[in-house]
Amino acid sequence: MDLFLMTLATGIMVGGIYALVALGWVLIYKCSGVLNLAMGEMTLIGAYVSLSFYSMGVPFLLSMLFMLIIGFILGILTERIFLDRLIGEPVLTVIMVTVGLSFFFKGTLEFIWGTDTRTFSPPVFSIEPIHIGPVVIGQVYLWSFLAALVLLVVFVSFFKYTRWGLAMQATADDEMAALSLGVSARYVYAAAWAIAFMAAGVGGTLLGNINGLNISVGYLGLLVLPVVVLGGLNSVPGAILGGVIIGVLQNFCGAYLDKYFPGGVKEIAPFAFMAVFLLWKPYGIWGWERIERV
Amino acid sequence: MSTTFLPCGEYHESYREDHAWWQTKFIKAKMALLMLVLFVGIPLVADSYWLSVCNQIGYTALGALGVQLLIGFCGQVTLGHAAFLAVGAYTSTLLILEFPWPKVLMDWGLAYPVSIFVAAIAAGIWCVLFGLPSAKVKGFYLILTTMAAQFITVDFVITQYISQIGGRGQAFSLPPGTIRIGPWVIDSDLKVYFMMIVLVILFTAVVVNLLRSRVGRAWVAIRDNDISAEVMGIHVVRYKLFAFFVAGFIGGVAGAFWISNLAAISPEHFPWFWSLWLVGVILIGGVGSIHGTIFGSIFMVVVMELLQMAVLPLAASYPKLLMDFLFIKEAAFGLAICAFMIFEPNGLAYRWWQAKNYFNLWPFSY
Repeated sequence: MDLFLMTLATGIMVGGIYALVALGWVLIYKCSGVLNLAMGEMTLIGAYVSLSFYSMGVPFLLSMLFMLIIGFILGILTERIFLDRLIGEPVLTVIMVTVGLSFFFKGTLEFIWGTDTRTFSPPVFSIEPIHIGPVVIGQVYLWSFLAALVLLVVFVSFFKYTRWGLAMQATADDEMAALSLGVSARYVYAAAWAIAFMAAGVGGTLLGNINGLNISVGYLGLLVLPVVVLGGLNSVPGAILGGVIIGVLQNFCGAYLDKYFPGGVKEIAPFAFMAVFLLWKPYGIWGWERIERV
Repeated sequence: MSTTFLPCGEYHESYREDHAWWQTKFIKAKMALLMLVLFVGIPLVADSYWLSVCNQIGYTALGALGVQLLIGFCGQVTLGHAAFLAVGAYTSTLLILEFPWPKVLMDWGLAYPVSIFVAAIAAGIWCVLFGLPSAKVKGFYLILTTMAAQFITVDFVITQYISQIGGRGQAFSLPPGTIRIGPWVIDSDLKVYFMMIVLVILFTAVVVNLLRSRVGRAWVAIRDNDISAEVMGIHVVRYKLFAFFVAGFIGGVAGAFWISNLAAISPEHFPWFWSLWLVGVILIGGVGSIHGTIFGSIFMVVVMELLQMAVLPLAASYPKLLMDFLFIKEAAFGLAICAFMIFEPNGLAYRWWQAKNYFNLWPFSY
């Protein structure tokens, strides 16, 4: 029972981070219709940038802030240089450009920072575990979860209550109507990429705190795909719920199935689950079902 | 983009001529010259290094042919084709190493050819298995299931289970002399080259002929609009799965072929990178064009080799460059894909088509 509760708690907390990254993904898809496969590398960029600042002696929160600024700039640059020219192109073209981007980012990252695992040293969060009743949780998980939660609230209220957020929602809903009401779609796209970069960066920094940082953390960024499929591609609440579900599922598979299928069950489970889930409910929990006509 | 304009004064008098592969004497002479270059010229001129580059090109082309069939002609985007290459390579290796071959087959050197065939079938069936979701989903969702194919096959099944067979550890080494076709032991780049060129020509011919048959037309109809295809009486699911089977079959052949060039195979030979690389090859070559597959493979392999050559002299002063060449390669690949998608979305095949027509129609291009 303790194992069950502990796995559940860890799953929910990691899921919070996934939800944060997935939110950035959904945002890009909603606003500009781009299916982004470079999310893992965007996670890595943010993580490495904040790690570099942190190891230079900058306080953690400040290095996070620097990372947000750099992520913002990079996001706008990416949109301006690569994605802006592709508006209206076929889906495969846009997807492959994001794949190309992911390679470009990955190669550059590996070239600059190498492939060795780096850790945040000294550790940002104390390694003393916290006891909540029978459940023991690492502080990293708890703080990461709280940070993810706070940022989720910030992002969601940004969309709901600020002028910019409302403009983005309008564009996502109906681009033509938004354009005629004076919303600049180009600014909205750029803003969507900037926010996605920042969200991915925060997610990456938190993930990097848990197990150290190397290129394979980018794989965790790829987990965002099962998350968004589960929640529905264009649903913000779906992304949050999907993140938590995938986090829990992953940790349960790691805890219980590993005995029967030794090896990488934990890494594979979300993708296997996604492949089966797609057969059953391709549009996710809250996604829009698209009706096709000839 | 598929039709080539005939030069002035060339007329067809029957449908047979109109449907012929090589329609004019000039084209026939050109193809004969190409065969001469491929079978005599290159083996005579090229040294071992360039032969191995050619083999790399052939392997890429074989793998990309299946991807081209799926993406370019049937519209089923796959980002996990390396998985099927891996299935082919592992089936073939395991059959050679573990299967109790009858002595007759061993003596005649038939073990490897038979294993290629079995491997191709196995890869085809595996590919159909992961193509099953295409009955229900398409586009981005299908991309995700093929990605799942990659992770499940290579990173889980092969790494964790298949690699344990025989207790050899992570890599299956192939002792020299095990790979034989008939009386020939495939042990030099030259022999691999001949095998490669035969396979590439054979499968290009098979795919091109499939494409101008009923099957190929059904695939193209599905690619252009699957709902209208269904309305016109095409069994969409069946043809989609058949496309997956053929693509997996060719992938299996490519994988089984490639073990002749390797001393040992391990899951690292079939990473997700390789799947994406194959898709990148057809995008750069041109989607929906068999020429494009070949051009794309040549372009990608040669450019990467040239990049390496450019890095080598610099490495004397910056040793870091050589160590990190893999990363430079990755970044260059990414940038190349982006650049082609943005500036040259029709790929190299389109330029080839333009050039060919220019010369066909010269001097009266109207």
